[in-house]
Amino acid sequence: MSTARRTAVVAVLPALVLAALATGCGLVAQPDSTAWDDHAEQAVSDATSEVATARLALETARRERAWSSYTVVLVAQAEESLGTVQDDLSRLQVPPGRDDEAARLDALLDEAATAVEDARSSAVEGRYDDRRVLDALDRVTGRLEDAAGG
Amino acid sequence: MTGPAYDAALHLLDRQVVDSEGRMVCKVDDLELTVGDGGELVPTGLLVGLPALLPRFGRRIGAELTRTHARIFEAQAHRTSPDVVDIDLVEEVDSEVRLSVPRAGLLRPRDDDPSGPERVRLGDLLGLPVTAAPGHGLHRGSRLLDVRLVAVPDGRRHVVDALVVGPGRPGALLGYDRRSEPGPWLVADLVRWLHRHARVVGVGPEVVIDREDRVVRVGPGASVRPLLG
Amino acid sequence: MKRYLNVLLGVLTAIGGFVDIGDLVTNAQVGARFGLSLVWVVVIGVIGICVFAEMSGRIAAVSHRATFDLVRERLGPRMGFVNLVGSMLVTLLTFIAEIGGVALALQLVTSVNHVLVVPFVAAAVWIVLWRAKFSSIENVLGLLGLTLIGFAVALWQLGPDWGELAASLGEKPAQESWATYAFFGVALFGAAMTPYEVFFFSSGGVEERWTRKDIGVMRANVFIGFPLGGLLSVAIAGCAAVVLMPQGIAVETLGQVALPVAVALGKVGLAIIVLGFFAATFGAACETGLSTGYSLAQYFGFQWGKYVRPDEAAGFHVILLVATVLAAGVLLTGVDPIMVTEISVVFSAVALPLTYFPILVVANDPDYLGEHRNGRVANLLGVGYLVVITLSAIAAIPLMIVTSMGQG
Repeated sequence: MSTARRTAVVAVLPALVLAALATGCGLVAQPDSTAWDDHAEQAVSDATSEVATARLALETARRERAWSSYTVVLVAQAEESLGTVQDDLSRLQVPPGRDDEAARLDALLDEAATAVEDARSSAVEGRYDDRRVLDALDRVTGRLEDAAGG
Repeated sequence: MTGPAYDAALHLLDRQVVDSEGRMVCKVDDLELTVGDGGELVPTGLLVGLPALLPRFGRRIGAELTRTHARIFEAQAHRTSPDVVDIDLVEEVDSEVRLSVPRAGLLRPRDDDPSGPERVRLGDLLGLPVTAAPGHGLHRGSRLLDVRLVAVPDGRRHVVDALVVGPGRPGALLGYDRRSEPGPWLVADLVRWLHRHARVVGVGPEVVIDREDRVVRVGPGASVRPLLG
Repeated sequence: MKRYLNVLLGVLTAIGGFVDIGDLVTNAQVGARFGLSLVWVVVIGVIGICVFAEMSGRIAAVSHRATFDLVRERLGPRMGFVNLVGSMLVTLLTFIAEIGGVALALQLVTSVNHVLVVPFVAAAVWIVLWRAKFSSIENVLGLLGLTLIGFAVALWQLGPDWGELAASLGEKPAQESWATYAFFGVALFGAAMTPYEVFFFSSGGVEERWTRKDIGVMRANVFIGFPLGGLLSVAIAGCAAVVLMPQGIAVETLGQVALPVAVALGKVGLAIIVLGFFAATFGAACETGLSTGYSLAQYFGFQWGKYVRPDEAAGFHVILLVATVLAAGVLLTGVDPIMVTEISVVFSAVALPLTYFPILVVANDPDYLGEHRNGRVANLLGVGYLVVITLSAIAAIPLMIVTSMGQG
């Protein structure tokens, strides 16, 4: 009897833990409005960090203060991290009534990702003073700052 | 073995064993005590290996681990008997236990015939509850915490001369029990306070270690003095 | 003369050896987010590691016992085993992080994906542990690690407003919550007081057969080397605070840690710093790898050591091999070494009391230390740090959960 009970406990306990995990940490999280705001804010500040990293890396390389492989690694990692930020956000269920905001944020992150992608491609090609790329990075930085402020 | 008197659990158990060439051999996983003709306990060997170590993980966990170990090594003839280093091979005990022989091929289980002398493990005795006549002032929850060894007059052998008893677990004394000098402030005070009930009981006819009933009985005539003087 | 040179060498390698991947990453992260407002934690951590290392060094010199010998002698087989498992896991985690750190440093030079570099790094670490004359490698790596002084030079070159920097010393940035502030405080403390440093230090002392006469040299190494190493940590945080913080850059890669140096000193400075990364992480990888072997061997009592011939300490070397393969295997899954580092410094803080407490107890035991047991000052500091270490260990995991690893 007691052995059977113990076996039952051993079997049920992990099942309960799994159930708790499934409700809390599913593949698609369903944050409420304020939690979603926190996530959005975090995404904006992460994106700001990655864009600034790419910008500073290009700038440093342009002034011949870093070698090419270092610059490429730095910008490529920024690009990769930005991809993760986008992925993480896209796995959040947008709370009702926030669709417009979510779409705006999505567009903003897309723009940031494109700017960093261009930065990466010019870093790989060794063109560190491409005005168009630098301007795009600056522009998206400004918009990210606006988004963080607003 | 050298040194006039020391506490077995404190100074011997879990110490590093080093061979005659300074190479490490093993730890003292347990201590083998042989019951002499007069019922006295004489340390005769250092016990080594998982069969000696696992039972010391506590009564329930230790037993479970020992069973599991025996099951895993079912094909081994000696799966439950630990290896032994004879106590005569021990040259010196200080912060390590030095042997007088090299380590190669040293460890093997004891090949006893069943009619030989009775042997017990120190680890089995430690933690036994102690019952005493009320006059001694022993704490009711007292257990056997350590055994004190003294050299017998011929100087070669040691014998268990006194028992250190008190509430708590063996090992929880952290070594502060053995000296009256002021130890570290706060930690020592705390440990002293925790072990204010610890006593040293001299081994004699009034003191019986009953291994069948798993209890130590201290009669009214036994000598009992406080551990922290 | 030779004696003084040896002392100097010891101090210099202690400086270089103090900084490892945990210090590099955590200090840069904290500098970029909190400026210099957590420098006080580095100060506390450095004093703490001095107290801890001095006690275990003294025990090693007088009683010739290393950390895990004492843990088992004093806590018994059961508590000792719990202790062993906890410390081993943390050391293994740090080992993984260090090997990953070496791979990341090489990636900065070659731009080859770090995962591809990992097997070669692991093989190199193992060959050094197995075959090389370790003491000379240790000295070379320690001295090369000194190139991290480049961070201090870079900070000076950046020419920050020192008054402003000093003013930020005690002030938490307004946008950060107290919970994240505390979390990074604990992480920084764990990075400064990594347990393996002490395992390695005391085991090395036992093996080099320190005696009472060596206590002075040991103290010089600890009391000069570690604080200067701590200054390097502060310089790393300062560089990040000056260059990265104003731009809103959060440190997530080893490249970002070096970025301020590139900005300040250019290619040469950057090259020197990356060399420093390599030396510091490679040295620490060897030390953590050895520490896993030390702890297991010292618990079970079989032969360990980097001075005895490998075939005399065969079991020890098998453990080193298994640990290296395990670490490489974990890294080959593509896990981010920086994340492993972040976790390892937090769990270092959690595991610290496990080994600190037995060392403090034994350091007071006249049986082991005789006249060299802790004096009044050592005990005051020792007990004070027992409280600090216990508090940070208790707070670490709740803070980690509440702040989701410092994100919130």
